[in-house]
Amino acid sequence: MRVNNKVHAAIVSRIMVRFENVGMRYGAGPEILRDVTFHLEPGSFTFLTGLSGAGKTTLLKLIGIAEPPARGLITLFGRDLATTRRRDFPALRRRVGVVFQDFRLLDHLSAFDNVALPLRIAGRRLQNYAQDVEELLSWVGLGDRLDARPPTLSGGEQQRIAIARAVVARPDLLIADEPTGNVDSDIGDRLIRLFAELNRLGTTVLIATHDRGLLEKVRAREMRLVDGRLIELSRARQ
Amino acid sequence: MSDDRAHSPSRILPREQGAAPLDLVIAVMAFLAALALGASFLTERAAMSWRLGLSNRMTVQIVPPPKGDTDSMMANETAAVLRVLGDWPGIVHAHALTQDETDRLVEPWLGKNALIPELPLPRLIDATTSPSASVDLSGLARALARAAPHAVLDDHSRWIGRLKALADTIIWSAYGILALIAIATAAIVSFATRAGLEAHHDMVQLLHQMGAQSGFIARAFEWHHFLSALLAGLIGAGASALLFVFAGGLESVGIEAVPFLPPLALRANELLWLLAVPASAALIALVTARLSVLSALREIY
Repeated sequence: MRVNNKVHAAIVSRIMVRFENVGMRYGAGPEILRDVTFHLEPGSFTFLTGLSGAGKTTLLKLIGIAEPPARGLITLFGRDLATTRRRDFPALRRRVGVVFQDFRLLDHLSAFDNVALPLRIAGRRLQNYAQDVEELLSWVGLGDRLDARPPTLSGGEQQRIAIARAVVARPDLLIADEPTGNVDSDIGDRLIRLFAELNRLGTTVLIATHDRGLLEKVRAREMRLVDGRLIELSRARQ
Repeated sequence: MSDDRAHSPSRILPREQGAAPLDLVIAVMAFLAALALGASFLTERAAMSWRLGLSNRMTVQIVPPPKGDTDSMMANETAAVLRVLGDWPGIVHAHALTQDETDRLVEPWLGKNALIPELPLPRLIDATTSPSASVDLSGLARALARAAPHAVLDDHSRWIGRLKALADTIIWSAYGILALIAIATAAIVSFATRAGLEAHHDMVQLLHQMGAQSGFIARAFEWHHFLSALLAGLIGAGASALLFVFAGGLESVGIEAVPFLPPLALRANELLWLLAVPASAALIALVTARLSVLSALREIY
């Protein structure tokens, strides 16, 4: 019995994200997520689908420790968030790269500085990260726009900067909210390949999207949210 | 490929639009604080010079009688007072002021061409005591009363005491003003920081979401306010220093200061002390901004 408990603890501690009966509502509003239960294995690639307003963004917020759940258990990298000290949250958040649906770029910073922001937050020095940032911006097709400010860039260009910012620190977990919503198919393919490459290198990826075409490009598990409830559509699309 | 010189990390917090009024308020605060600090220096210096000028000194006044042969009576009593003072233990020098010297003393109040000869001015006898000796003042007063009935002894202790009380009041008032200005500056910066947090709420949320420690976010705000307060403080204290230099210049070209009030010019070392004002303003801004940001961040999940 004790051996079984130890094995179970070891398995749980390896799980990247674990939700058990999680519910979420804002204030006294309606419940947006209901009894959501799932887990993400290390190195997995998962699509989170659902209609607009199904609760995809809220679920990503809970994973990114942006909001506390109304009820239920959430563990991140084996840590129960309910019992984790608040002062330890920043270190957990730094292991999660987030691509926001509305990009959230800082307009007064250049493309280079926006992408470098997670590295500055992590305490790295300019001379140690400048080349990585430039290479990443070149990879997403913005190598000639290093000093451009976001307001001077198109929506697609801003989205690519947001994605570069989310992946530049090689996070253990990448969550992306409609990451290809504003780019053409060529750029979209390139970004998906970037996510797949990161996933191949060990990053766990969760992408929220309503673009069914995206699901055809990567063999991955799909979870669908319907009226705040999670439906497992496929364990793995091989 | 990478050229580090091409990139220097930008300020995380953008220069706020509409920050000029805050800078102006801090500059005015620094100006007033530097004035208060300068006034305390001037008063302390004046009080010291008053004390040095009057210590080990005493004055005997021979008050003119309302009627009778005033001149001969005052001459006789002056001679008698000088004899008593000359023989009294602890007194090293006694000197009766001439009419010219007395006239010069009252000139600042009555002017040069006033009818001074018509006025019944007392004869003044200035005495110097030995710093190491203890003078029996009550015995001296009795001896003077016997030798010269119209003589009045003044050892300046009351006058010095009042001056000291006045100087202390001015100096402590200046310190009080400095404390009030410091509190007001802290309150203003705290308010501005809170407003800044509101204005940059999305940015703070983003940094928070990306795993920035509270100290990282606080540093963005505290350096912003530190530099603003330092610059504004330098401008305010600089204006105050110029005012003191200008006042000193007026005195050097012959525009007299009011008698008994201290000269308004600060010495070089005192002017340097005014730099403490912008340094303090910057420090207050830094600490206040940091505490305000950390307090606000505690409210975010």
